[in-house]
Amino acid sequence: MALETELATYHQRLAELVQNEGKFVLIHGSDVVDIYGTYEDAVKEGYQRFSLEPFLVKQIQSVEQVQFISRLLPHCA
Amino acid sequence: MPYFTRQVDPATGNLILVAFVGVSQARRTALVANNQAVPNPIQIMGLVDTGASCTCIDPTVLNQLNLSPTGSTSVNSPTTGATPAIADQYDVSFVIPSTLNHPPLVHQTIPVVKADLLAAQGFHALIGRDILRGCLLTYDGQNGLFSLAF
Repeated sequence: MALETELATYHQRLAELVQNEGKFVLIHGSDVVDIYGTYEDAVKEGYQRFSLEPFLVKQIQSVEQVQFISRLLPHCA
Repeated sequence: MPYFTRQVDPATGNLILVAFVGVSQARRTALVANNQAVPNPIQIMGLVDTGASCTCIDPTVLNQLNLSPTGSTSVNSPTTGATPAIADQYDVSFVIPSTLNHPPLVHQTIPVVKADLLAAQGFHALIGRDILRGCLLTYDGQNGLFSLAF
């Protein structure tokens, strides 16, 4: 699975991250880098800091919002 | 307000439009800084899909852009059953051209979900409500037309 370490970090730190529910967290490896108000700002900072290395941008949600697609099976990680 | 009108696909009734998918602005900057080639935006056929909460793109398109995932989300579809699947997200630019003398709809950086099997059905993307929420969609079923204003 892609971004396995970053996703594990997100779930481990979720209890503290939810203070910023709805905002976007930037995670690199096991490091929570910072929290941003918009997706665009988080992605921009990710590329500026880590260039083409893997990083995760994820909206902070106490309950994971599920995306719904009425058509097809998405590719599963 | 820029807008365009297209014909509904007479065979399927689908709302199909041309769009361009490219690397996001931030990734473009990183590629240039690393002296790497920036892939040209790819012209795709997109299905306007109010049943999709997020925009999805076929992996054949994402692979041509040499993208790596920068996100992950849970997805429910008719084939995932009760348990949502985990899907990779990619940051891309997404442009829908308008008519002559009207500006296009431009998203410099948006997250999209990788979804298989789209190209086999004659389109490469589901244009979901994350993009449509910034638009006015009119479906004229009697005349076989649809319009998108933004």
